[in-house]
Amino acid sequence: MRGATSAPQSLGWLLLPALLVLALFLGSVALLFFHAFWGKDGFSLVYFRQILDRADYHEVFLRTVSIASIVSIAAAVLAYPIAWLLWRLPRWRNLLLVIVLVPWLVSLVVRTYGWLVILGPKGFLNETLKWAGVIQSPLPLIFNDLGVVIGLTHVLMPFAVISTLSVLLQIDNRLEEASESLGAGGFETWRRVVLPLSLPGVFTGLSITFLTSMGAIVTPILLGGIRQKMAGTQIYQEVVYNFNMSKASAWAICLLLLSALGLALLRAAEAALVPKADR
Amino acid sequence: MSRGTISIAGIGKEFGTTTVLDGVDLTIAGGSFVTLLGPSGCGKTTLLRLIAGFLEPSRGTIAIDGAPMGGVPPRRRPLGMVFQNLALFPHLDVFENVAYGMRIRGMAAAVISGRVSKFLALVGLAGFERRRIGQLSGGQKQRVALARSLALEPAILLLDEPLSALDLQLRRQLQVELKSIQRQLATTFVFVTHDQEEATMLSDTIVVMNGGRVQQVGTPGEIYRRPASPFVARFVGDINMLDGRISAVDSTAVAVSLGGTKISVPRSTLVGTPGIGAACQIACRPEAVRLGHAADGALSLDARISALHRLGPTVKAVLDTPLGPLTALSMADTPQGAELAEGKTVRLSVPSDSFTVFAST
Repeated sequence: MRGATSAPQSLGWLLLPALLVLALFLGSVALLFFHAFWGKDGFSLVYFRQILDRADYHEVFLRTVSIASIVSIAAAVLAYPIAWLLWRLPRWRNLLLVIVLVPWLVSLVVRTYGWLVILGPKGFLNETLKWAGVIQSPLPLIFNDLGVVIGLTHVLMPFAVISTLSVLLQIDNRLEEASESLGAGGFETWRRVVLPLSLPGVFTGLSITFLTSMGAIVTPILLGGIRQKMAGTQIYQEVVYNFNMSKASAWAICLLLLSALGLALLRAAEAALVPKADR
Repeated sequence: MSRGTISIAGIGKEFGTTTVLDGVDLTIAGGSFVTLLGPSGCGKTTLLRLIAGFLEPSRGTIAIDGAPMGGVPPRRRPLGMVFQNLALFPHLDVFENVAYGMRIRGMAAAVISGRVSKFLALVGLAGFERRRIGQLSGGQKQRVALARSLALEPAILLLDEPLSALDLQLRRQLQVELKSIQRQLATTFVFVTHDQEEATMLSDTIVVMNGGRVQQVGTPGEIYRRPASPFVARFVGDINMLDGRISAVDSTAVAVSLGGTKISVPRSTLVGTPGIGAACQIACRPEAVRLGHAADGALSLDARISALHRLGPTVKAVLDTPLGPLTALSMADTPQGAELAEGKTVRLSVPSDSFTVFAST
């Protein structure tokens, strides 16, 4: 009896770190809203107007959403065959998984500079193509939106691989045998059974990569064009160079709303495409 | 030879260094209900998967209606399969599950919907077309799996312990339906189970397997009355087994000594090659052990009832005898049955032709 009452009391202290983190998080979100909506004379939408009234900022939003969409789709498309292969080769799965995750073992900055070495005007790819006589002048592969897309896709693809793989691994392999015994070949089985059942994993990957690219900062700074800003780099600039917390907060809230909109669209697409596999 | 005949010759299968099947020869008659019966690990499921084509044999050949199946993938074999966990497609509804094979064949929509209706009606699920798999009960899923595998009208249907997950009552009901469907379609059913009652109730032919080998092939009656080995005798139904020694053999009779008692049984009850003085096992079914009758059997002695179990119409008595414990099964509503009580001493007798003598080999 005594043990039963005293144990929860002593265990209650374990909640403290979590509460601390929660308090800090809620505090900073509150601060964000305060900065964004509190002007010199109380409540104000002036910072939002500063952003929404500028045509060049519209372009930043458009670029952010476009790049995030392209990156998430590219990552999903590239990740699917890799996930499928990992699923199909159980003996090699752990080794291949390590290879897939290698980009995360390298620091963000080092990895991004790696792309400079490969894609830069005097980089490996351009030099090789020039040497082979395919091109005369270097292709603009970097310091533009293409560079950002390549860099982000590379970093985020492991998320798409893992989320797809985790769903593939849940598929009962008897389902494939059942399909085969009903006359279906390998591709037909994939199209009619494996693909529909793995779509939830693909959509999870799309959500993760889309949201992460929406808020990307370092990759667009290092691999993007100087004038081709994304929302994340805009916020970074307002905080670090302009010390304009209010404008940065307004940017952040705009970005949050856009991300939520994108996520809602993804959910709607998933609901329309993925049949309810109520097991 | 009717459609759906399976000829299995010299099949062996190894997984790594483990031998799972060893020298299996078997002919499964077209249109019959055949059960592969054995304890877990006896190789019955492996044999089924070899027939299905999900595995290739290490040795030997399998032919269906005379056509060798070596290297033929499952989808090109004229058979359907019901899996142990059913393997219904969770993302498709009942109609699409049953229609699956026909969609793969590219059959016309009208033909497909006609056949789906026909087979759903056959398994008693008419009107369930648009249900989702998750909304079905265990028994209904079972029926959908059956309809799906039958919809392509295969010559052979393979069933891998499909009823094992169901409760007893539902299992009995589905067994009856399964057998009636098999009779209607005259499809060859090859059914894997470890449940000997299920095998006895369903099959035309039972194939008893153990340790990767076929122990005996026969009708349920033959397997029960004339088991080919002590293993089969113990595995199918209850049986009393006594250790003895063969003391004499002639053309009509075998004399066996059990401890101090000598009994003589017909030569026809002997399995294996007897050696005079060699050890043997002598078996009799509990229902062959008669209690309270005039002593007219080959074995006749007094025994004390150590335990009594009344099981509805029958009563099972465990007897202490000088030869060791014996079990007797009697009808409860006979005068003899009514008189039985624990602790009582009764006269037991076993007719000489209800023994089976297994000579040690």
